[in-house]
Amino acid sequence: MDSIIDATAGSRQDRLLLRAEIDDFNAAYAAALDDGRLKDWPAFFTDDAFYLITSRENHDAGLPVGLVYCEGAGMLRDRAFAIEKTAMFAPRYLRHIVGTSRLLRGREDGTVEATANYLVLQTLFDRPESTIHQVGTYIDRFRRVDGVLKLQERRCVYDNLLVPNALVYPV
Amino acid sequence: MPWVQVASSGDVRESGALGVDVEGTPVALFRVDGAVYATHNICTHQFAFLSDGYVEDGCVECPLHQALFDIRTGKAKTAPASTDLRTFAAKEENGAVYVDLTRSAGEEAETPAGEPVAPAAGTGERLVILGAGQAGARAAEAMRQAGHAGPILLIGDEDEAPYERPPLSKELLLGTTTRESIRVLPAERLSSLNVGFCSGCRVTAIDRAARTVSLSYGSSVPYDKLLIATGARARRLPAPGADLPGVHHLRTIADAEALGAALTAAKRVVVIGAGFIGLEIASAARKLGAAVTILERADTPLERLLPPAAGRVLQALAEGQGVAFRFGVQVAAIRSDVVGLRVDCAGDDSVAADVVVVGIGTEANLELARDAGLAVADGIVVDGEGRTSDPAIFAAGDVAHYPTPINGRRCRLESWQHAQEQAIAAGRTMAGQETTYSRTPWFWTDQFDRNIQMIGLPSRDASVLVRGTAGEAGSVLYLLEGGTLSAAIAFDDPQAIRDARARIESGAPVDAASLGAAPLSSTVMSGAPTACAADGASAEEYSTMDHPQPNFRWPEEGLTRIPDWVYTDETIYKREVERIFHGRTWNYVALEAEIPNPGDHVRSNVGPTPVVVSRAEDGSINVFENRCAHRAAEFCRSLRGNAKEFVCPYHQWSYDLKGNLVGVPFRRGVDGKGGMPKDFRAQDHGLTQLTVTTHRGVVFASYASDMEPLADYLGPDILGEFEATFDGRPLKVLGYYRNTLPGNWKLYHENLKDPYHATLLHTFLVSFGLLVAGNRSLMLCDESGRHGVMASAKSDGKNVSQENKKEMRAYQEGMVLEEPRFVDYRPEFDSPWSVTMMTVWPNMIVQREMNTLGIRQIVPTGPNEFIMNWTMFGFEGDDDEMLRHRLRQGNLMGPAGFLGLEDNEAIKYVQDGMKNIPDGRHLVALDPATEAGTSDTLISESAIRAMYRHWRSVMDV
Ligand SMILES: Cc1cc2nc3c(=O)[nH]c(=O)nc-3n(C[C@H](O)[C@H](O)[C@H](O)COP(=O)(O)OP(=O)(O)OC[C@H]3O[C@@H](n4cnc5c(N)ncnc54)[C@H](O)[C@@H]3O)c2cc1C
Ligand code: FES
Ligand SMILES: [Fe+2]
Repeated sequence: MDSIIDATAGSRQDRLLLRAEIDDFNAAYAAALDDGRLKDWPAFFTDDAFYLITSRENHDAGLPVGLVYCEGAGMLRDRAFAIEKTAMFAPRYLRHIVGTSRLLRGREDGTVEATANYLVLQTLFDRPESTIHQVGTYIDRFRRVDGVLKLQERRCVYDNLLVPNALVYPV
Repeated sequence: MPWVQVASSGDVRESGALGVDVEGTPVALFRVDGAVYATHNICTHQFAFLSDGYVEDGCVECPLHQALFDIRTGKAKTAPASTDLRTFAAKEENGAVYVDLTRSAGEEAETPAGEPVAPAAGTGERLVILGAGQAGARAAEAMRQAGHAGPILLIGDEDEAPYERPPLSKELLLGTTTRESIRVLPAERLSSLNVGFCSGCRVTAIDRAARTVSLSYGSSVPYDKLLIATGARARRLPAPGADLPGVHHLRTIADAEALGAALTAAKRVVVIGAGFIGLEIASAARKLGAAVTILERADTPLERLLPPAAGRVLQALAEGQGVAFRFGVQVAAIRSDVVGLRVDCAGDDSVAADVVVVGIGTEANLELARDAGLAVADGIVVDGEGRTSDPAIFAAGDVAHYPTPINGRRCRLESWQHAQEQAIAAGRTMAGQETTYSRTPWFWTDQFDRNIQMIGLPSRDASVLVRGTAGEAGSVLYLLEGGTLSAAIAFDDPQAIRDARARIESGAPVDAASLGAAPLSSTVMSGAPTACAADGASAEEYSTMDHPQPNFRWPEEGLTRIPDWVYTDETIYKREVERIFHGRTWNYVALEAEIPNPGDHVRSNVGPTPVVVSRAEDGSINVFENRCAHRAAEFCRSLRGNAKEFVCPYHQWSYDLKGNLVGVPFRRGVDGKGGMPKDFRAQDHGLTQLTVTTHRGVVFASYASDMEPLADYLGPDILGEFEATFDGRPLKVLGYYRNTLPGNWKLYHENLKDPYHATLLHTFLVSFGLLVAGNRSLMLCDESGRHGVMASAKSDGKNVSQENKKEMRAYQEGMVLEEPRFVDYRPEFDSPWSVTMMTVWPNMIVQREMNTLGIRQIVPTGPNEFIMNWTMFGFEGDDDEMLRHRLRQGNLMGPAGFLGLEDNEAIKYVQDGMKNIPDGRHLVALDPATEAGTSDTLISESAIRAMYRHWRSVMDV
């Protein structure tokens, strides 16, 4: 099955299956990041993918900047590599809680748009509490590559305008 | 040489004294019954010139603490002096006075009079003294001086020769005197008096039937007469944590030395108890530069001793020197946490401290007496001669409960004078010379640069009159009971104490008129400083008295050290807001591009203060506080918008686009009732408006109304770099980043005035050749030192010399980017630099990191945190590829940027490092060749030093 079923027009069963598949995808994506397998992260994307983390303020106003702004899997791999090998920051754990996805629409080109809310909790090593580091929503476009679901585009749009100090790992 | 002419006869008069300097020796000249006399001019008690003293009946009284000396013999006659004064031979010839420093006045003065030669021991009764403090030592001396020939044994449990305690909370704490100079008797004095002295030995029991005392050694000692002079001990704080390290009580030399060392290092001192000792410790701590809070259970200082109004005068004196009081506070516990100590008060309140000192009074060491069955109250009950209920046993000093000469009142007095003179009376009586002690109680305390003396016995219920402005030098508080004077408290005015003593002792009726005083009124305004002043006199004296700030002392090394309090102290932060952000500075607030049309506005900040930046109908840009003139509501809540007017939602007051008040609902009331006063003028109640200037599309605001033009504020070099980035092309906002940063706001400036870190922290930069130590670079400062530009020119990283590589731990070879284009520099500016990071004091950073451009606005929220607002921009006319290049390059900066996140983390590390180690200092000594200012090497901290040179001058530290 090389093309994605039309998310809104397909059969009820197809839609449920697709949604379950995207939920599985998000769970695997979150697990890779939560486990600290940064190297595995770019593989969730297509080669021509676009990845953005931006505030709701920018998103709503149509302003293009992102805290992270990657065009193509190469930039994702560069980021994963640079964070792991060169960046200096206090050790921390992150945990991604991703809500169930919502299918928006399927496109002619075979891609599917979906969203899911997320919560990123951060735990530093010198404080007992975990803090809500980011509250937001993924605005995604998926495409199948060799039958495997991949992100062609992921925009992480966060509500909390003030980033607590630094955002080290991907969302 | 001996005779030196020192004065002319006419200058030395019967009353008063003349101070002269004779070959470096200060000498006081007196005339008594026609003849001239010379003594050393400095009191043997403390440093005071006797020539400023009072002369009467052949004696001179020290102006400081009223020690009395016989002018002819130099004999110390009264407390608190115990060492005689040196005298010099003096004569008059031909209208001139001569002094011979090599000889004392008259042969007989050579050996001080009244000093019996130490008698052979063994003849007469055995006198034993328990407690080798001031009372014990003085009694021993008095026994011998009264002619006692039998053995005298002085037993004390401290490992110290007897010493005086008053300096423990004063000079010894401040380190202005030494432990050896506070001995009660000069060394060797006890042995020359042939007094047996047993130190480090505790008396454990008195056997009255056998007339022996038991010693901790296990042996016992027989006595014929016994003096108990065991003094008192500091009351321990009855709360958990009272024995934690850092919690001090003060009674002994060892206590004082430990406390002195602790205070010198402390920044925050909490004193529990607002008694004399607490106040003196607070005074010393302030002198040493610490912030001091006094916690007191009662509602005024010295509540058990003084009328509240009098206590408040002392309170105001302390507050005037920056001491904070909290009354009605019950200490529940003391804890230690990561930052130091915490004093928990009942009711959920707690105060942080580096050092806690407990001064909550004393308890008499009366257990020996009580267990032996002697009559005790809060002290050992004695009669006027010091005798207890057992005629063979006496008690003296702090432990004695004695009959005062005032209205037959009995009490336990804890004063130097009492310990001295009552002990002498007891000692003489024990030696067979019945002596009654009936001196009017006298006490002194030195605090907050005032010498305060008290005569008489104060009581809580006395009414208080004041002469002068209470607490000021020369002022006196008179305490009246039943129409007579019961006590007086004089501030830097010993003469007043002499007069008061006479009145107290005469018992004659007094009133305000005869004392030249007025009732002391006292008003306590809740939450406001206490005001105390004489009726009719200005109450403003105290209420407007600006709380002087703690004493922030810059390290002696100068600009190469920065003390932690610069980054962590609340007081410093408040002063920064006042003097820097609200002072004579231009603060970045917005870009014109954000508010192109009339009615457009954005929320912004000047320092921590929220403002609105708005474009009015006439195209002008206006900046005003986001705070309704009515009830302070922060009325503008959205980040940006367009409006015709601003309406505060609370009561619908409306303002125009310039911040002028235009509408007040129901201004004239309803049905002729209510409404604003008739004379209300809307033009007087607009929003607080700031001065505005713009340059190349960038908007600045200032609280100062007469700011110099921005070009002058920046200076030519910084302006040049500013115009290189803002080159006249219209700006286009690309979006915002906002983050909090748990560090002091100045650390961000320092980060960008610290080219040293760039190659070391930012491995990313170095790995990809964006910045290396060999790159051409400059750290530019303006003349004032407040602004700066860190500039560098990109190289390809291939030509990093081996030598430079070794030095940079961060340099990593063999690292390549898959998509290196995002770090390309596409030349677009008329500048030799590919990167410039400009800091515009106090709140703006202009980032030109190759092609990613942004303004960072610092919004401090306290000493330990600030918010950073990033406005990323490009230019109108950028094509899509240039726009995306800027956006891709944006991955370098911001809170998730490869470089930006590292700087944020590093700044947090710095603030964290200061949290848990008090009183630290930073070292900023790189590049001594440039003391402060522009440097052409990256390995320099001269720009940071330049910034602090400016900061210190503005901040007065
Ligand atoms: C910090 C401080 C500041 C002061 N400032 C002033 C001031 O400014 N003006 C003023 O007028 N007064 C002041 N005073 C008060 C004054 O110092 C005291 O009143 C005076 O020291 C009392 O002397 P004392 O000999 O009675 O007691 P202490 O000096 O206390 O001597 C008693 C001695 O007996 C010892 N002892 C107790 N029990 C035993 C035992 N069982 N066996 C053997 N030895 C024992 C104690 O260890 C101590 O050494 C101050 C006191 C203190 C503590
Ligand atoms: S200095 Fe002279 S009595 Fe104290
Ligand atoms: Fe940096």
